Parts: sequence; C-alpha cells; structure tokens
Amino acid sequence: MRESSLVRRGGYFLAFNGLTLFSFLCVLVIPFIYGFILTFTNWNAISDAYDFVGLQNYLTVFSDKEFLRQFLITLKYVVVSAVLCNIFAFTIAYFLTSGMRAQNFLRGGFFVPNLIGGIILGYIWKFMFANVLTQVGKTFGIAWLKTSFLTNPDRAIWAMIIVTVWQYAGYLMMIYIAGFVGIPKDVQEAADIDGAYGLRKLFRVTIPLMVPSFNICIFITLSRTFMAYDLNLSLTNGAPYGSTQLAAMHVYQKAFMSKQFGVGQAEAIVLFVVVALISVTQVMMNKKREVEV
Amino acid sequence: MKKSRFLALVLTLLMLTTMVSVGATAEGEVKLTYYSTSAEVNSMFEEMFAKYHEENPNVTIELIPTGVGMGQQEQLQSLYASGNAPTFMNIDPANILDYQDKLVVFDENTDWFSNLNPGAIEAGRVDGKVYGLPFSTQGYALCYNKRVVESVIPGFDPATINTQDALRTFFETLDAAGVPPTMIHGANWSVGCHYLGLVYAVHGKDTESGNKFIESLIDGTQDIAADPLFQGYMDTYDMLVKYNYRKDDPLVGDINADDQAFANGECATFFMGDWMWSIIGTLEKKDMDYGYMPLPWSNDPTAFGNNEAVVSMPKVMCIDASQSTPEQQAAAMDVLKWMLTSAEGQEYFINAGFSMPYNNVRKDAVYNTMTQSIAAYSAAGKTINIGCFTYLTGDAWAKTGDMMLKYTVGAIDRTELAQEINDFWKTQKKH
Repeated sequence: MRESSLVRRGGYFLAFNGLTLFSFLCVLVIPFIYGFILTFTNWNAISDAYDFVGLQNYLTVFSDKEFLRQFLITLKYVVVSAVLCNIFAFTIAYFLTSGMRAQNFLRGGFFVPNLIGGIILGYIWKFMFANVLTQVGKTFGIAWLKTSFLTNPDRAIWAMIIVTVWQYAGYLMMIYIAGFVGIPKDVQEAADIDGAYGLRKLFRVTIPLMVPSFNICIFITLSRTFMAYDLNLSLTNGAPYGSTQLAAMHVYQKAFMSKQFGVGQAEAIVLFVVVALISVTQVMMNKKREVEV
Repeated sequence: MKKSRFLALVLTLLMLTTMVSVGATAEGEVKLTYYSTSAEVNSMFEEMFAKYHEENPNVTIELIPTGVGMGQQEQLQSLYASGNAPTFMNIDPANILDYQDKLVVFDENTDWFSNLNPGAIEAGRVDGKVYGLPFSTQGYALCYNKRVVESVIPGFDPATINTQDALRTFFETLDAAGVPPTMIHGANWSVGCHYLGLVYAVHGKDTESGNKFIESLIDGTQDIAADPLFQGYMDTYDMLVKYNYRKDDPLVGDINADDQAFANGECATFFMGDWMWSIIGTLEKKDMDYGYMPLPWSNDPTAFGNNEAVVSMPKVMCIDASQSTPEQQAAAMDVLKWMLTSAEGQEYFINAGFSMPYNNVRKDAVYNTMTQSIAAYSAAGKTINIGCFTYLTGDAWAKTGDMMLKYTVGAIDRTELAQEINDFWKTQKKH
C-alpha cells in the first residue's frame, strides 16, 4: 500500500470533514466553553456587563429545590419513556420481521410519526388531548376522558410519555429490524432443530444476539428524552402550573425569563454531566453483554 | 487521480458558497426590522408595512412576529444577544427598564409629539426620559355580554355592581336562570398578571403606592395574607371560580376557544381585557354589544377599586440605538410618525379596535363596544393605574400566575397561596 504523507491525509480530511468540523466547533464546542465560563458570572442575559462570582451559581443550583423536583420528574419521564419505547419498538419489529403480509408497508407506516418532529407533533397531540379525547369522553360518557390529560399534573406527564413513545417507537423499530435481520439464519435454524422455538428461542437466542441494538436504542432514548424541550414546549409548556416543566425547560426559563443566566447555565452543566455519566455507564455495562456468534 | 481531487475541491467550495448569503442593499435603500409583542395583530402590521413600502419604496420593513403568550421576552433577548436587534419594536413599558441603555431617548420637543393626548407620553417614561410612544389605550375589568345579561336582568346597569354582595347576587341570579355567570381564562398571565395585579395596584391611584406595596413584599415586611385587599380580591376570585363556565377543566386555557365561547354568548361575563376584540372581531358569528363592570373587592361602595376599571397604555414603540445606524433610526422615526399620527396609519389601528391616545384621531371613529366601555371609565376618571406592573417582569407573572392556577383547581388553599406569593417576592430584588 502506498504510504500517504500526513499532510496529504490531513488535506483530504480537511477537504471533506473541514466544514462539518468547523460547524461542530462553532455550534457545540465554543458555546459550551463560553457557557461554562459564564457559569462563574452573574450575567442577566441582556446587559453588556457582568461580574465574576466564583462558584456561587453552583451552590445555588444544589440548593434549588425547584430544580431538584423538576430533575426527578425528568428522571421519571426518561425511565418510563425509555422502557415503553423499547418494548413497543422491539415488539413491533419482532412482528414485522416474522414474514407477515404487508410488513414493508407497515414498517413505513410506523416510521412516519418520527418524521413529524417535535413542535408540530406537540401541537397536534395538544389538540388531540384537549379537544378530541375530551369530545370522545363527553359523547360516550367516559369519565376519565372528559377532562383534558393536560390539565392534571400526573396525567400531563403521561401525555408526554405517550407522545414520546408514539414518536420514537418507529425510529427504534427500524434499528431493531436491522438487528433482527442481522441474526445469521444458520443460528436460528440450529435453534429450531435443537427444539428451542417460540419464546424460548426469543429469550435464549435472539435477544442475546440483539444486545448491540438494545445498546444503541437505549442510549438514543436516554439521551433524547433527557434533553427533551421542543415536545415539552409545544405539548404542555410546563402546564399545569409548571408541574411538567422538564429539566431543559427549567434551565431555559432560569436563564432567560428569570434572567439568571449563570445559574441556568450551571444547571445545564450539571444536567450534561449526569446525562453523560448515565449514558456512558449504560453503554459500557452493555458492551460486556454483547455476544459474538 | 488529479480529476477526483479537483472535483473534491470544487464540491467543498460549492458548499461554502451556498452557506454565505449575499445581502446587498442598493444605494439609498433602508431596511428596517420591527419586533412586535402584540401577537394578536401580526397581520395588521404586515399590511401597514406593505402600504408604507408602496408609498416609500426605498424603505423596507420586515416584521418579526411572535405568538400569543409564547416566549416573547426570550426572543427579544436572543435577538439582541445575536446581534440581530430589531430596529424598532413594540414592547411592554416594563421592558424599558431592562433595555434602557440600548434604546433611543426621544426628544420630547419633537413637533409631531404634540398630537399625543395629555399624559400619554408618560407611558414610555422611565427615570425621567421618554423611551417609547404608546399606540393604544386598553383596559380590563369584568366584561359582560349585554344580550345575555339583559335576557335575565333587563335594563342592567353595570354601575350597580360596586360591592361584593352585589356581584354575588348578580352571579346567583344568572346561575338560577341557567346562564353560566362567568369564565376565567386558565392562563398564568391572565390570573397572575391581571387579576393578582389588582391587589398591588388598588393600593393607591398612583404608581408609587403599588410599587411601595410590592417593595414591602420584597423586604419581607409585609405578609400578603394580612392585606385586606388580598383577602377581598381572593373572596371575589372564589366567586369567579365557583361560577366559572370552565369549572370542569379550568386550566385548558385555549384563548381561541374561550374568546369564541364568550362571543357566542355561552357565558354572561368573562375576566379579560378589551384586547380580546382583536380575536372576537374576526369571528363570523358573534355578539356585538359588550360592556365592563368593576370587580369589587369589598362591600364598601365608596372604596377605591369597587367602581373602577383598569385603564392603561400597555405597549410602547421604541427604537433601538445600540445596533442600528443613524439612517435606520431616522427612518424608523418617520415610520412611527406615519403609523401613529397620519390618518392613513391610524386607520389600521382603528380598524383593529385600538383606541389611540392621540388628539388627531378622526372623530367619527367607531370603536367596538368593549373599547367604548373602557373609554367611558377613562373619561369619567374611574381608572385603576397599573404602573406598578413594571415590577411584573421576568418570571413574576408566570410564577405567581401558576400559584393562582393551583389555587383555582384547589391544589393549594389560600394560606398556602399567600405563603408561596410571599416566598416568591422575597427572592426578588427592588428596581
């Protein structure tokens, strides 16, 4: 093989990746560093001047009961969404790789909700919960549908979970389908011949071989639901009375509406550290479970 | 080999050029941006700017619209922070405090300022200087649908509702006749800013009384539960909650649905300001006759607040000084002059139902009945001044509004509500 010089390789890298690297730096890295610096100030998001206040903002974060409460709500939302999303996605993928009729059409159908995207999705479902379901409840006399899901703090968080599952199940289903299709046929035949079929085959053969897909899907759901903002904004906007304000929205509100940018950014850093820790731990733990054929 | 490398370079350059937007303006052309927080009338501004551009082809004005109740403050902050500050804007007088060092100070001796009604220029005055000009007089109290009320109480006179007992009897009569007496719009800005704001504002006729009361809450020297105005207004609020048309699900807060229900006469009264006409006026099927009655807080018919409605100039137009050129500022000044004092410009506001505090508005302008009712309170001097609302900036109305919403559905009781309001104000700073 011809040895390429470092300069030549570097030149190719820059020519193809330079643009994306530049965008990544500008949009992610530089704001992150600048934001980190701002956590040590008392900037109010409007004026041109600010003072350095040391670690005071971090102390405020850890004594902010509101932030803790909303963090726990976010945690509940994340765990339940992750579990339900993956169960639904896996089940749908299982049936859509079993060779049933119209399975390609159904695959496309299940994927469509994912294409609709956060804000529009939120508004559509807001209408569904506030108007359509309540109308159904009133017409058919179903008591628990008569009031909107979105006006009760406990049900509103379930509304968010339902919409999240509806949105992501299709996307995750695609990954699981790829996982199913990637299981070698001879392993499956061997299992059938040896008498392991149905659920036994599922739990003893299929799922262990699917662990990489689980890994990816759980990582995706955890990181996306932790940072959920667009759905939060359009579906509930924190209502009723701020009870469904997830962590990202709390950060935004703290920084811009309460005009305590330093505190808000400090909360964002804390959130980032927690999410990074959870995601990396999860990936590392599951890497060990991956089975090679 | 050379061909593919060359191709790679060309592709990269193409990608780069598509990212650079070319924004050349020809000589003499001025491009302005206008940020509007009056979200109900975005289309009105668009039409106005199109008309202005027709008459002044070298001036193009782009509207930066916002949504009703949606993140308007944050949007303005990010516009400023990203270097895209609007050339001119309409904002709440409270926001002038935030952006004071970035706005143009108007010269009060400008010739066309003489068209302002006496006292109107105070709307945009902060620390002795004028930063903004008003374009509307708006107000709120308890709005009533004349047709619906008079079907139960013929010849109803709103001046008779000047005590809590009178209001209670009024609601009971309507309820007995099967007419939903009132409606609360379940949004934190309506109950936190407008309703709870009455508690602060009715302390006195001038802004200082309200400010002093809020400052005593910030100090911690005043417990809001010990304030008779708070208890009185909460007693009245309990009545509104009891007879709320939306009491099955009070927090839905769909502004279009609520306005439409009121316009159809599905309930007799509605706690909302006369700005709701900008939505109701566009409906095909609506009642036309409305009026305002006071929201009494006690049984003393002579007490201040029991006979009055809130009248204010809620929005002011300001020009940005920090990120605009002198040409843009001068052009914006001309646009303001056209919008606010020319017959053509004023026509747009009149058609949208805004009552303009200028003395050259055409005398035969007919306003909707809501605005007429508020104007009558203003003419009679029966007004509540809400200048202390400059304290209700940032997250004040959102947070206290959320507490009021919790109270509305019974998640907290009045003692807890008072405690939460006290705790909130103690975390705030004085201006």
